[in-house]
Order: sequence, then C-alpha cells, then structure tokens
Amino acid sequence: MWRFLAQRLLTAVPTLIIIATLAFALLHATPGGPFDSAKRIPPEIERSIEAQYHLDEPLWRQYLRYMGNLARGDLGPSYQYRDTSVNELIRAGLPVDATVGTCALLLALLLGSLFGIVAALRRDTSWDYVPMLFASLGIALPAFVVGPLLILVFAVTLHWLPSGDWRAGSVRYLILPVVALALPYTAYIARMVRGAALEVLASPFIRTARAKGLPLGTVILRHALRPILSPVVSFIGPAFAGVLTGSIIIESVFGLPGIGRYFLTGAINRDYTLVVGITVLYGALIIVCNLLADLCYAWLDPRVRLRS
Amino acid sequence: MALIGAAALAGCGAGGPTSGAAITVGTRLDADQSVNRGLGAMPRSLDPTLSIDEPGQEVIDDLFEGLTTHDVEGRVVPGVASSWDVSPDGKTWIFHLRPSARWSNGDAVTAGDFVYAWRREVDPKTAAEYSQALAPIVNALAIATGKAPVESLGAEAVDAHTLRVSLNAPTPYLLALLSDNYMQPLDRAPIDRYGDAWTRPGHMVSDGPFVLTGLVVGDRITLARNPLYWDAAEVRPSEVTYYMLDDGEQLNRFLAGDLQYTSGFLSSQYAWLKTHLGREVRTGPYFGTVMLALNVLTPPFAGNRDLRLALTMAVDRKVLAEKLSQGLSPAAYSLMPPLPGYTVQNPPWAGWSDARRHAEARRLYAAAGYSAAHPLRVELDYPTDPTARDLFDALAAMWRINLGADVEPYNEEFRVLQQDEALHKSLFFWNAWVGDFPDPFTFLQLYESGFDQNYGGYSNPAFDALLGEAMRQPQRELRYRYFEQAEALLDRDSPYVALTYYATRHLVKPYLQGVQSNFQDRSLSRYMYVLEHEGR
Repeated sequence: MWRFLAQRLLTAVPTLIIIATLAFALLHATPGGPFDSAKRIPPEIERSIEAQYHLDEPLWRQYLRYMGNLARGDLGPSYQYRDTSVNELIRAGLPVDATVGTCALLLALLLGSLFGIVAALRRDTSWDYVPMLFASLGIALPAFVVGPLLILVFAVTLHWLPSGDWRAGSVRYLILPVVALALPYTAYIARMVRGAALEVLASPFIRTARAKGLPLGTVILRHALRPILSPVVSFIGPAFAGVLTGSIIIESVFGLPGIGRYFLTGAINRDYTLVVGITVLYGALIIVCNLLADLCYAWLDPRVRLRS
Repeated sequence: MALIGAAALAGCGAGGPTSGAAITVGTRLDADQSVNRGLGAMPRSLDPTLSIDEPGQEVIDDLFEGLTTHDVEGRVVPGVASSWDVSPDGKTWIFHLRPSARWSNGDAVTAGDFVYAWRREVDPKTAAEYSQALAPIVNALAIATGKAPVESLGAEAVDAHTLRVSLNAPTPYLLALLSDNYMQPLDRAPIDRYGDAWTRPGHMVSDGPFVLTGLVVGDRITLARNPLYWDAAEVRPSEVTYYMLDDGEQLNRFLAGDLQYTSGFLSSQYAWLKTHLGREVRTGPYFGTVMLALNVLTPPFAGNRDLRLALTMAVDRKVLAEKLSQGLSPAAYSLMPPLPGYTVQNPPWAGWSDARRHAEARRLYAAAGYSAAHPLRVELDYPTDPTARDLFDALAAMWRINLGADVEPYNEEFRVLQQDEALHKSLFFWNAWVGDFPDPFTFLQLYESGFDQNYGGYSNPAFDALLGEAMRQPQRELRYRYFEQAEALLDRDSPYVALTYYATRHLVKPYLQGVQSNFQDRSLSRYMYVLEHEGR
C-alpha cells in the first residue's frame, strides 16, 4: 500500500504543474489586465505599477517566477486586494469552507444512507416514495432557491436563526448553510444508496446471512453496509474537494467569508495569482480526496486490491 | 438608554463646527450604540494612498480625516484644518491645522504628515493607481510620471500646524478634493515599520473618528470609537461593523435586523421595497450620469452630427426612468447632473412632446442618408450586468421602432469592453460616470481633446478653449458660466447620448438616525446614533 501511495503522490506533481500552467496561460490570454479600470491611468503610472508586480516582464519569465514561488508554497500577492497575499486569503477562507463542507457532507452521508436504506427495505411503500420524492426535489432545487427560502422561513419570519454571517465556532451560524449545502448531496446519496441497497440486499450472501437467523439490523450493519457504501465513496471524494474550495452560491447567499467568491471576483477582475492559486489548490485537493476515496474503497470492498 | 442633555450636544464650541445633526432634548438613545453597516464589496485596500474603490472610501472616511471632511448632509466642512487663507489668484492656499488633532497613538497631526502622505501618493515607487487625483497640485503629475523629484511637490509644511499648498490653477473644488482618501494624512512610523501590513488591526495609526480593531478578509471590518479624535465628544457610535455583502445578502440581513444600514439595494427591487419597507427605503440624487459616448472617429458617427442627434432624440428617457428604473433614476438629457449654482444645459428638444421629438429625429435620420431601404446597422456593445442588459435592449428597441435602425445589442465582459474602449474599437462606449468632486469639470473633462477617458475621440477646439477659460477663473460664478457654455456647445455637437442620472439608494432602519441622502453619497458613521427601539 505504501508503494501505491508514494506512486500516486509522485504522479500528482506533473498533474499539478500542468494545471498551474494551463490556468496561468488561459488567464493571461484573456483580454484586460488586473489594473484596467474605468478610470484610465496615465501610461507612466501604469508602467510603474506593472513593474512592481513584474507584469512588465516577458510572459515566460513571469511564468518561471510564478512556478518558482509556487514550488516554495508562495502563491504571490493578490492584485485585486493590494495589501493582502493569496496565501492569506486562502488561509482566511479555507477553514470556513472546510467547516461548512465537512459538516454538510457528514450530514448528507448520514441522512442519505439512512433514507436510502429505509427506502430500499420498504420498497414501493410510502417509506420509499416520500424520501425519494424529497430526494428528487433536493436534486432539482438549486441552492440559490433553497438558501433564500431557508433564510425567509428561519431567519426573517421565525427569527430562530441568523440570516447569514459567520462566527467561528458558533453552531447557530452553521445550521442554515450546512443544511442548504447538504440538501442536494443528501438527495444524491439517498438515491445512490437506495439503488445499491436494492442490489446488495437481493444478493446471495445477504440471503445466507438472513437464513442463518441473524437479525436485520446486524445483517445491514455488519454485512450490507460496506458494499452499499462503496459507490458513495467514489462520489464523496471529488465532492469533498468541491465543497472544500467553496460553494460560490452558498457563500453568497449566507455571506460566508470562504474562498469560492474570491475565485469568482478574481476571475472577473483578472487577479491572475488569486485564480491560479485557487485552481492549483482545487487540483491538489481533488488528487488527495480521490486518493483517500481509493483507500476507503479498498477497505470497503475486499475484492479491490491496491496495486501499483 | 441615555437621556441626552441639551448642553452636551447643542453644537460646537470654539474648536470648530459640529457638523452632525443636533440631537434634540429628550431623545432616548439605545444603550447599545453599535452600528452595523453593509459594504458592497471588500475594499481593495484600506491604505488611503492605494484605495480606489467606493467601499474603501467609505471605511477610510471613518478611519482618517483630511484637511476637510463631510457633514451629515455631505457638505464639505473643516476637518483637521480649522481655517485657511487663499491668495487672490486662487493658486496658493495656507491651511491652519487644529492643534487638538491627534493620531490614535497620541501624537499630534502635523503639516508634515500631509506632506508625507501626498508625496507618497505621487511617488512612482508607491505605484498608486489614482495619483492623478492630486493633479491640481504643482508638479504632482510630473512626479507621478517620473519627470520630477518627489520633493518638488507643491505642498510644504511652514511649521507643524501650517501647510502651504501651491496649485497649477485656481481650483475651487480643492476643499472637496481634500476630504478624499488620497489627500488624508499618514503617520509615517507604522508604514516604515510594517510595510504593506501597516493597514492591519493593531498596526494602523489613524486620525479619524474611529480606529481599526478587526478585519476578517472578505467578511467584516470592525472599528471602535477613537477617544483621541479631536471631536470625539460628538461621535456617538461606540463600535461600527462593516459587513462585506452583495445587495441581495444585505437585504436579507437588513430584513432579519442584523444590518441597520445597507450600502445599496438592487434597483430591480425598488418598487417591491417601497411597498414593503416604506420609509426605510432612502433614495436621493447622486452626482452621476449614465450615458453612451459615440465614437466620432469612425463612420457612421464621424462627421455625421445629424445621425448622432437623431439617435439621442429617439431615446424615450421617460420610459427608461419610470419603467426601467421604476422611478429611481431620473431622466438625463445632458451629461451634467444637477449641482447647486450650476444650470444644467438641457437641449431645447428635452421639453418636446414624444411625437414632435420622434418626428424631428426621423427627419435628421433621413437627412443623414438613412431610410427603411437603407437602415443604420450597428452593434451595441454592453457589459455583462443584468441591469445594463435591460437598458440596452430597451435602447435597441427604441432606435428600431422610432427610427427604423437595425441595432444589435451585444454582450461583452466588462474587462474586454474596457480594452475595446481604450483602443476606440467600439462604436458606443458605456459611460456610467460618477463625479469625483462636486464640480462640472469632472464631467465636461470627459470630452476634452486627448483626455484619457474621452473614449469617443471627440475634439473641438472651441469646447477646449471654454474649459480652459473656466479653469482660469478664481470665482466660482464666472467659472460655472463658462462651463455652462461648454456644455451647451457639447450638446449641439451631440457626441454622446445621455440616458439617466444616478440615485443614491440605501435601506435604513427607522431607529438609526444621523443619516441623510446626499449627492456625493458620503455617509460618515460618526454622525449616526441608535434610538431606543423594540425588536430589530
């Protein structure tokens, strides 16, 4: 397994270099620059600003400079926020996204599996129909509808929970964004688990276990759960990387200081370093999460062996 | 809750004018005087030298104070300077600084702090994006463009409390300019010590009504009352928190009672808000105009005044103002928004009936050589923005229906559009302009020959001469008369299509007092106070 791990991590390096190169090239190819604004700057002043950020150098040298800094973990200064570095922006935003994302995925995993298994066990009854109806709704309703709806009900009308904002460590501020973010994931997982559960529960080894006289709960927890969850794991890996780097919509609706919206405004404002930095971070997280998912997969399904 | 006595807030002592609204006797103040404000976006910087955006200006207005500042109605009033003298030619100003002005670390604010800050602004090494703001000061532009040494700037500390400023030309709007963040003083020590990080809480030393106590990037900025501020006795809020949120989020937070003041609201929600929030919706004139500059360097607009006039006359501004902006933004027939003492030069056809105006527009369109068989075919580029899209669709429809022109709206990303504008590539240039200072020059300059923002390439020596003449007048009245002539001349040439004026728009809780709409949209937290209230 260690060899497998080492090999996967080694192949990650060229992948990340390619991601960074592509992001760098694409961004610099888009028209407009970070210091273009409605107020035009005299060319001499524009030049001294560009010199300060090395934007006056040939692109290949800018690229080498950027990659050199990247290798040392320095993502450079943000062009958009002039007294802040990209590392600082990510350090400030990532914990927020990580907290909300982890809570949402755990909630989705818990509720999704529960609903999925119950629906499979009570197939074609209201125990199946009602959760699956909600699952379809959860998939169909986008976050920009669910989010404001939750705010309207729980913050504006009932005044139970804050309408947004972020206080590190306070659960009250966490509930609505976590629920809104978890909803579509819960729905996906519920449908996925239901499908897998139907298949697994009908398979011979479960029938054998039941025939031995084991109670249903034990059969599910001890024998069925692992195969049921294996498709979910391969879904959760990339999904986790996605929520870690921020859901732009959830962040906007609830006013969370995550990195998703920097990504958006950074792209609009041609904040080269910020956008490339977040892209590389996203790439690295996907690689790590996929790796973790593969490890889980092997643990869940004894037929899978990690081979390099 | 506290009962305010008359003496405490009746007004100013000898130290200078109190510019806030007087609080009447018997007003019951809430025990909690913390103010929560919405802020449209994260300021690009809290460094007064480097900040160039509105959110930055808003926060820096609370943290720093220049020679002048704004009162509750947005008028320019003395700040760190308690008085000043002007030479007869209007080119030399002597400012007398109040000895009571202090930095938040207790040091006195001196004339040298202004000289330091201004030199830093124009120093090419600082790479400030808007060092042109100091252009009226002798040598400012030469220094910024590397043609003169920093020491040659026309600002000199005569003594610790006297500042002499030398100008290129009489600049009647100088006092307004001096309140802007670019002109605010800086304490050198923290900048030398912390470099770029001097704007962080704990590092920053400021001279305004508030000090910076917290900054969560992309989330909030917290300020606390500065007890060393010279007018601290008149500052009510104990704490001010700015939340960086877009208009939609701000509305949610406002409805939930978490915000008492929003930096704006979506114009498309204006009618709904008025119905549901009533007097909490505050709007007023704002010193800005939405217009389209026409590219007069290339066909079809080059040398074709009839066509330009036909296009501008064919626009039904009442529809834009009443239907599209739901009554929020007034119709604009000329580029200058209303300004006290100035008469906006509306073209004669502004008062005509729709039928008469359309008929004349069609006549001019035909005179320019266009007809149903040979219509004007143009592409109308506009920036990616939901409000802009409605506006440009409406414009294209008006030109299609009223003239028979074939106008194709074409959406382009803002930065791409800007690049096209700089290269004079488009035919129409989206120009939503808010004046930098309360003076006609900030608008009329847009059509001066060779000016950087003169995207359409308009050039008329007679117009330039009138601007030059106006700029030489030390008296405001005479200066304004020249500007009026220039504006009238511009309207006859029609190198642009004025559409609507801007409006300020805020949501304000009824218990938050000390807020008044003003045409520069400057609402300083220092004047705000919270009344005792039930609920949120």
